[in-house]
Amino acid sequence: MSSKEDILNSIKRHTRAQYDMPDLDTLEGIQYPDKTQQFIEISKGVGGDALLLDGDINQLIRTLYPEAKTIASNLPEITIATTNPDNVDDPHSLNGTDLAIVEGEIGVAENGCVWIPQNVKQKVIYFIAEYLVIVLDRNKIVNNMHEAYAKLDLGDKRFGVFISGPSKTADIEQALVVGAHGARGVTVVLR
Amino acid sequence: MKVGLFIPCYVNAIYPEVGVAAYKLLDYLGVDVDYPLDQTCCGQPMANAGFEDKAIPLAQRFEAQFEKYEYVVAPSASCAAFVKENYPRLMEKEGHLCQTSGKIYDLCEFLHDILKVKQLPGKFPHKVSVHNSCHGVRELHLSSASELNIPRYSKIKDLLSLVEGITVLEPAMLDECCGFGGMFAVEEHSVSVCMGQDKVRHHMDTGAEYITGADSSCLMHMQGIVSREKLPVKFIHVIEILAAGL
Amino acid sequence: MSTKHAEAANRFIENKERETWHNETLWFVREKRDRMAMDVPEWEQLRELAGKIKMHTITHLDTYARQFAEKAEANGVIVHWAKDAEEHNEIIFKILTDHGAKKLVKSKSMLAEECELNPYLIKRGIDAVESDLGERILQLKNEPPSHIVLPAIHLTRQQVGKLFEEKLHTEKGNSDPTYLTHAARQHLRNEFLTADASMTGCNFAVADTGEVVVCTNEGNADMGTSLAKLHIVTMGIEKIVPNHKALSIYTRLLARSATGQPTTTYTSHYRKARSEDAEMHIVIVDNGRSEILGNDEHIQALKCIRCGACMNTCPVYRRSGGYSYTYFIPGPIGINLGMLKAPEEYYDNVSACSLCYSCNNVCPVKIDLADQIYRWRQNLDLLGRADKMKKIMSDGMKFLFVHPSLYNAALNVDTVVNHLPRFMIYNGLNDWGKGREMPVFAKESFTSMWKKGKVKKSKK
Repeated sequence: MSSKEDILNSIKRHTRAQYDMPDLDTLEGIQYPDKTQQFIEISKGVGGDALLLDGDINQLIRTLYPEAKTIASNLPEITIATTNPDNVDDPHSLNGTDLAIVEGEIGVAENGCVWIPQNVKQKVIYFIAEYLVIVLDRNKIVNNMHEAYAKLDLGDKRFGVFISGPSKTADIEQALVVGAHGARGVTVVLR
Repeated sequence: MKVGLFIPCYVNAIYPEVGVAAYKLLDYLGVDVDYPLDQTCCGQPMANAGFEDKAIPLAQRFEAQFEKYEYVVAPSASCAAFVKENYPRLMEKEGHLCQTSGKIYDLCEFLHDILKVKQLPGKFPHKVSVHNSCHGVRELHLSSASELNIPRYSKIKDLLSLVEGITVLEPAMLDECCGFGGMFAVEEHSVSVCMGQDKVRHHMDTGAEYITGADSSCLMHMQGIVSREKLPVKFIHVIEILAAGL
Repeated sequence: MSTKHAEAANRFIENKERETWHNETLWFVREKRDRMAMDVPEWEQLRELAGKIKMHTITHLDTYARQFAEKAEANGVIVHWAKDAEEHNEIIFKILTDHGAKKLVKSKSMLAEECELNPYLIKRGIDAVESDLGERILQLKNEPPSHIVLPAIHLTRQQVGKLFEEKLHTEKGNSDPTYLTHAARQHLRNEFLTADASMTGCNFAVADTGEVVVCTNEGNADMGTSLAKLHIVTMGIEKIVPNHKALSIYTRLLARSATGQPTTTYTSHYRKARSEDAEMHIVIVDNGRSEILGNDEHIQALKCIRCGACMNTCPVYRRSGGYSYTYFIPGPIGINLGMLKAPEEYYDNVSACSLCYSCNNVCPVKIDLADQIYRWRQNLDLLGRADKMKKIMSDGMKFLFVHPSLYNAALNVDTVVNHLPRFMIYNGLNDWGKGREMPVFAKESFTSMWKKGKVKKSKK
C-alpha cells in the first residue's frame, strides 16, 4: 500500500467525533467610514506609504525615486521603465533592479495589503527590486480580508500575493529593520 | 438563604481572620451562615501536581458536607474554581452527579452577583493595589482578562469602591501570574520566585500601602517574597476590607 | 524534586540581566498583540470561528486531504505523501538528486526542524541554506531555534555581530541590527541567486484550490521560489483549510497574534510552479499527526497555526527561555506537542506551567493549552514519571484531608508548626525558602475559633 493510502487510512481509523463547519456568514468584518484614508494610514503604519495620484504618474514616481536607474515595469503607461520583466527569460537577470512598478488589484483597508495576482512573466520582480511601486485603482479598496478573498480569483494563474509595506525583520534583538530580502520601500499609488 | 461557608485549608491555618471577616460580612448582609466542621481541603494542590485521583475522596467528602446548602461560598477564588470546574468530572468517575459545582461561589462573586451588594458601612482610607489572580480572572471571570477583547469590568473593584476612603489601584501587567501555582512554587522555584518578585514590584510601583486580592494563596506567596526582602508593603484579603468596621 | 526544565530555568535566571531583557522583550510582543486584538471588534468571534473551522477540518481530514491533493495535482503540482520524518527526508533528497540540485535555499519550516531535515541533507552533500535571518544566524551558529516565530530571541546583538564578523566578514565590533541585517541581505542574495532549488513550509493549504499559502515578513520564501526552477513545499497534514473564505479568518489572526502586526508583509499563494519549465512539489507529512486525531484529550493540539502567542504570554517561558524545554518547540504548545511525540522523553517540560491559563486566552484558534498540561500531569504517574516527592506529598495531604480529626489536630496550635509545613511543602521546604519566607501560622485556626464560638462572638 502506498504512503498516501496508509496516511488516509490512519486518519480514517483515528477520526472519532466529527465537527460541523461553523456558519461563517454570521461574521461581520470591520468596516471603515473612509476606506481610502484608512488604507493610507495603515500603509504608513506598516512602514510603507500610499498616496493619491494627482497628475502624471511617471513624474510622481521620478520625484519619489530620483536615484532609480534600472526601472522594471510591464505597464504601458510607465514610460520611465528601462526593462520589461515580461521580456526577460531568466529571472536572475533582474537582480540589480532599482525600482519595480507593478499593478495591484485589491487594496485592504484593515492591514494595508495589496493583492497582486501574478501579472508579470517574472514574479521575482515583486521581490528582487530595491524599491517597489504598486499602482492601484482607489475604488478597489475593500474593508477587510473577508471582502478581499470574496473578490479575488486566481483563475489559472500560477501565483498571487498580498503585499503590505516593505520587507522587514526584527530577528536581531527585536529591533525592526526594513529591507530584509525584498523591497526596502513600498509606495502604493492610488489612481 | 442558607449558605455553607468553605474555609480552605491554608486560610484555616494561616489566615483565620479572613474566615472571620467572611462570616461577619455575610452575617451583616443577613445571610444565614453555617460552617460544616468536618470540611478539609478541596483537593486542588494534589490535582494540580498531577494526582487528581487523590482529590476524588476529598470531592466526595466536600459534596457530603456541602450539598445540603443553597449556596457554598469560599473566600478563595482558586478553590472555588477548582470545585466548579473539576468536581463534576472527578465525581463522574465514581458515578456521582456533582451538586456543589453549581452552587459554589467565590465570596466576591457571591457578593457581587447574588447578593448584589450596593453599599457597605466600612471605611478604609488607604491605597490598595488589586491582585487579579489567575483563577479568579480566567476561570471565575471576576474581571475581564487582559488578553480578551471584551468590555472591561472588575467585580472586585466594584465592591472595593463601596468602601469609604479607599484608593483602588492596579499594577502593570495587571493579571500576570504571581508564580504560586501550588507545587509549581517548589518544583520550579527559580521561575516562581522570579515571577513573585516581579509581581510584588509592580504592585509596589503603584504606591499602594496594601496588596489585596480574592486569593489568599497568591497573597501568601507574595508575602513570602516581601518578608524575605523586608519590603514596605502590607497584605490584606479583599473580604477583610469589605468587612471593615463590622 | 526538580525537572530538567526547572534546572535549565535556574541557569537561565542566574543571568538576571538577560532574563529581564528576555521577559520584557517578549512581554512587549504580547502587548503589541493585545493592541492589535483590541483594534478588531470581532476579534473573539474570529478566534471562535478559527477554532471551529480547524476542528471541522481535522475531523474530516481524509476528505479534505484527498481534495487538496487532487486540486494540487490538477494544477500540475507533484504531490508526495510521507508517513514519518524519515520518509519526508528521503523524498526531499530524491527530488533534489533527480534534479541534480546541490544547493537548496530554505525558508522557515518548523516541520523541517521536526524532521531534522538539514543534518540529513547536509550529510548527503546538499548545501541546505536557511534564508530567514533568524534561522540563518542560528545555522551559522549551529544552534536550534529558541522560539518558533522569533528563533534567535535568546541572542544579543553583540553575539550576532561577533558571529557575522567571523562568518560574513562584517566590520569588527559593529553590532548595529540595521547594519547586520543588511549584511545578511547581501550574503543571502547571493545564495538565492546561486540556488538550484528552494523550499518553503506552509502556513495554510487550501483544499478547494490546491494552493499553498506562506506568510513571511522578510520575503525570503518568495526570493527563493521566484528564482529557482524547483520549489518543494513541506507541510503537515493539519495545515489544510477548506477554502478562501476560511483562509480569510486565519490571515487576520496569524500576524496579529504572532508579532502584533496587522498582517505579515507577504502572504503568498502558490498554485503552480513558477514557469512552464519549472516544477513544484508538495510533501504532505503525517509523522504522528493522524494518531492525535484519536486522542480526545489532546486532539486540539492539531489546531495550532504556529503563531507563538502562547510563548510570548507564558510567564514561565519568558523567564526561562526556549532552551529550558527539552522539546524543540518550547512554551505551552511545545509542552503538549512534546508529550504527544514521546511522553517518556519529554515529560520534564510538564512542570513548566503555573496553570495561569493566559495561553488559552491568547491562542487564536482557542486550543485548551493549559487544560492539556493539567491532563498530562495526571498521566505522569501512569507513565512512571511522576515526581516521587510530589507523590508522597499528595499522598500525605490526601491522608490528612480525608481524616478530619487528624486535620483538625494538625490545625491545633501546638502541632501546627510541626505538621502544616510538612503537608504543605514537606521536603520542598528548602526550595520554598529560596527567595521566600515561610508563611506564619495563626495562633488559632478558624475551625478551632468556630468550635469555641469565637467567630460568632467576634461581631461588634
